[in-house]
Amino acid sequence: MRHFKRVVGLKLSRIVELIINSVLLAGLYATMAYGLGLIYGVLRIVNLAHGGVIMAGAYAGWYLHELGVDPYLSLVPVGVASFFLGVVMYRGLVYRLPRGAAGGVQSLLLLFGLWLILRNIAYLLFTGNDQTLRTGYSTKAVTLAGELVSVNRMAVFAVAILILIILHILLTQTYVGKAIRAVAQNPDSCTLVGIRVERIYSLTFGLGTALAAIAGLLGATLFPFNPGFGSSELLKSFVVVVLGGLGSVAGTAIAALILAVAEVFPTAIPGFPTYLTAAVGFVLLVLVLVLRPGGLFGQRVLG
Amino acid sequence: MKFRRPPWVKPRAVIGLLVVCAVLAIGPLLHSDVYIHNLLTLTFIGIAAALAWNWLGGYVGQVSFGHAAMFGVGGFVSAQLELKLGFPMLIAWVSGGVIAGLFSLIWGHPTLRLRGPYFSIATIGVGEATRLVGTYWDWFTGGSSGLSLPMHHNLKFTLYWYALGLAAIAMAMSYALRRSSVGLSLLAIKSDVDAASDVGVSATRLQDLVLFLSGAMIGVCGASYGSYFSYIEPGDMFGFDRSISWVLTGVIGGIGTIAGPALGAVIFVLLRQYLIASYPQLYLGLYGILLVLVILFEPLGLTGLAMRVLHRARPDLAVTGVAGED
Repeated sequence: MRHFKRVVGLKLSRIVELIINSVLLAGLYATMAYGLGLIYGVLRIVNLAHGGVIMAGAYAGWYLHELGVDPYLSLVPVGVASFFLGVVMYRGLVYRLPRGAAGGVQSLLLLFGLWLILRNIAYLLFTGNDQTLRTGYSTKAVTLAGELVSVNRMAVFAVAILILIILHILLTQTYVGKAIRAVAQNPDSCTLVGIRVERIYSLTFGLGTALAAIAGLLGATLFPFNPGFGSSELLKSFVVVVLGGLGSVAGTAIAALILAVAEVFPTAIPGFPTYLTAAVGFVLLVLVLVLRPGGLFGQRVLG
Repeated sequence: MKFRRPPWVKPRAVIGLLVVCAVLAIGPLLHSDVYIHNLLTLTFIGIAAALAWNWLGGYVGQVSFGHAAMFGVGGFVSAQLELKLGFPMLIAWVSGGVIAGLFSLIWGHPTLRLRGPYFSIATIGVGEATRLVGTYWDWFTGGSSGLSLPMHHNLKFTLYWYALGLAAIAMAMSYALRRSSVGLSLLAIKSDVDAASDVGVSATRLQDLVLFLSGAMIGVCGASYGSYFSYIEPGDMFGFDRSISWVLTGVIGGIGTIAGPALGAVIFVLLRQYLIASYPQLYLGLYGILLVLVILFEPLGLTGLAMRVLHRARPDLAVTGVAGED
């Protein structure tokens, strides 16, 4: 009750600050989650290597920055490279597994193994120490609605929104996008109308992987990371996917915002132990699974 | 009252288990190598835990990436009962196990109901959240400095037989859970929940039962592990690596088979002794590679390999129904 009064007694400016923080964080979460949701929606496989790819993206951005490339410039090469990494992962490994219920456990375990390998590679290359990606503008801030807001965080948000808009256009307006959505709904019928389903699967896996790597790179400009980075990101992505339903861009965005609010607002409570923030996503996941197993917005398949 | 053997209990299996246990039980009296003695104790605990993981991951088909949560809960509850309330060791172990089993039901009951991989993903979260809470909850776990348990004279030496007993119980339960009618129901649930429900198999109750048993056994393993080292620390007990180790023992030995995970645990313990000594930085990645290779080429792991060899040697012997895989 004491805490409650303090929360209610928050100054308006503090609330504005919390809202801005939540919205900016939500952009990153949405990008992160969309990759996972896309693969899950189309291939019905939970990409447990998602967290590993997020971590790999963070290190790729960090490494390129050490070579003198601005992290926002390296978005494109990292995105393209991880797209091909995803295609290779699909063609080389996932493709060989049985589909359907029997393949569920196997694909989980296989991709989990891949995650362990990625983690170990990062550990060997860059040691287990925390790294940070600091740019010249990391500490710059502008005033927005009376609050100081980091330029970098706004840039991350802008990139995330841009990516979501591009994805939305891709999925709704282009032939490939429509094919991806069709395969998500019914792969068998797609073969009948001449869609090369396997090619769509490769493409989707590549896209999902690229999104994860980009999210990792963006995240690296905000948070410190190490080879273990990505496990809580995987969980958060999954929370957003479950909350927002599969593949709906708007649903994903709203779900990401809900998660961000649930994480950011408790930090305003005096005496709230910060380590509990990590548990917020999980509690949300269980609540949603119990109360609305179909997601907040019902089941929708991509679009 | 005369005890009647249920039809699914094969005398051969009972005798086999008893012989192996008898040999292992008198083993330490014949040699005095402390290193091997202690390594075997840890292996027994590892076997019990691997089998318990397999009940859920293999029999029910719900892979858990967070069983270390129950391992830690069992370990710390048991330690606290011994330290604060002065429980005798065995009663503390069992209580720790029961509480770990109940803990697994709290988050597992809702997530097991759902189709698809929700349970597995939830376990990643449970493992992580429990580890964090455990690390910062000083009153319960002693925080990062951990808890020291009472040391009795010769306890570590006698724990060998306790651990052997634990492994034997786990083995017997593995056999019972697979071969009894419960095992058949679990197979049905694993292949098709709806069809299983249609023929009167209560998926909800059975899944919860197996989850509880699995969590409780892992909890007892955590408790015995604590007694063995007489010191426990949350980072180690709740660690992600620990959860991974059971996934690996299960998969390498043969997921869903009766004795496969026990074999996997033996190999895992030996491999770890060697790898940690020689390549401390590589062992996680090597496990990953092993996991990928097993899934791609021999989904039933060593058991599948053994069955294949057996089948090639004696094609007339139809080896079926052992694994129950699709």
